[in-house]
Amino acid sequence: MAGDAPWYEAAMVVGVTNALNVVADGLGALMTPAKPGAGPSAVTAVYDDIRAFYGGPAEIPLPFGLAAQDPRYLGDLWAAAKRAFSDNQLGRRLKTSLAFAVSLTTRSAFGTAFHLGEMRRLGVGEGGIMEVVGVTQMFSSYTKIADTLQLEPDMGDIAPVDRSPAPDGSPPT
Amino acid sequence: MPTVRLRDAEEYPEPARRAFELSKQWFGYDFPQPAAMTRVMAWDPHFGGPHGRAMKRAMTPGEFSRGEKEMVAAVVSGVNACGY
Repeated sequence: MAGDAPWYEAAMVVGVTNALNVVADGLGALMTPAKPGAGPSAVTAVYDDIRAFYGGPAEIPLPFGLAAQDPRYLGDLWAAAKRAFSDNQLGRRLKTSLAFAVSLTTRSAFGTAFHLGEMRRLGVGEGGIMEVVGVTQMFSSYTKIADTLQLEPDMGDIAPVDRSPAPDGSPPT
Repeated sequence: MPTVRLRDAEEYPEPARRAFELSKQWFGYDFPQPAAMTRVMAWDPHFGGPHGRAMKRAMTPGEFSRGEKEMVAAVVSGVNACGY
C-alpha cells in the first residue's frame, strides 16, 4: 500500500462511518425510517441501489431510511457512502473491517452490528474478525496509555512525501 | 511534553535492552532511542511483556496482512484522537 491514496480512502471510510453511526445510534429510537415503496420514485431507486450494494437485504440500513425523509439528501448521502465503501485502492473487505473497528472503538451499537454482519457477508471468517477485534483492543489500550503520559510521536518527521495525484487530479508540481 | 521522564535505553536492565532490540527489528525503524511506547512498556515487564505479546499476536498476518492491520490500528488511533 504505497502512497497516500489508501490513507485518503481510509479517512473517508472513517468519516462516513461515523456520520452514519451518529444518526442511527442517536435517532434510531426517536425517528421512523421511510418505508420502502412509501416515498417518491427517487427514494425507491436509491433503496434499490442500497439493497444491491448490501446483497439484497429486505431492510434498508437505518441511517439511510432516516435520511429518506429528504430524498435529495438521501441520494447524496448514499452516493458518498457507496463511493467510500466501494473497491478502489483499498478493497471493500478491508474498508468494511475499518468501519467495524471504528464502530467498535466509538461504541456504536448500530455500526458494530452492521459492519460485523457485512464482514461476514463479504467472507471474513471468525478468525479474521477476531484479528480486527484484537488490533482494535490493543490499540485502544496503547492510545490511552500514550494520551495519559502525553507521549510525543516517534515518527512525526519520517513520513515520505507522496507524489501521486489525487483521483482524477493533476500531479503536484 | 510527557508527564513522566522517559528513561534512556541504557538506564534499563539487560533483559529490557534485549527486548528493545527485538522491538527495533519488529518495527523496522532505528531511532536514536527505542520508541517511547516501547520504553513505557519496559517500565513494568510484568505488564509490558504480556501486553506486547498480545499486540504482536494481534498484528501477525492471518486473514488480514500486517499492512491491513496497521491501517486498522491507525484508524482506531485516529478516532481515539491519539496524536502519538
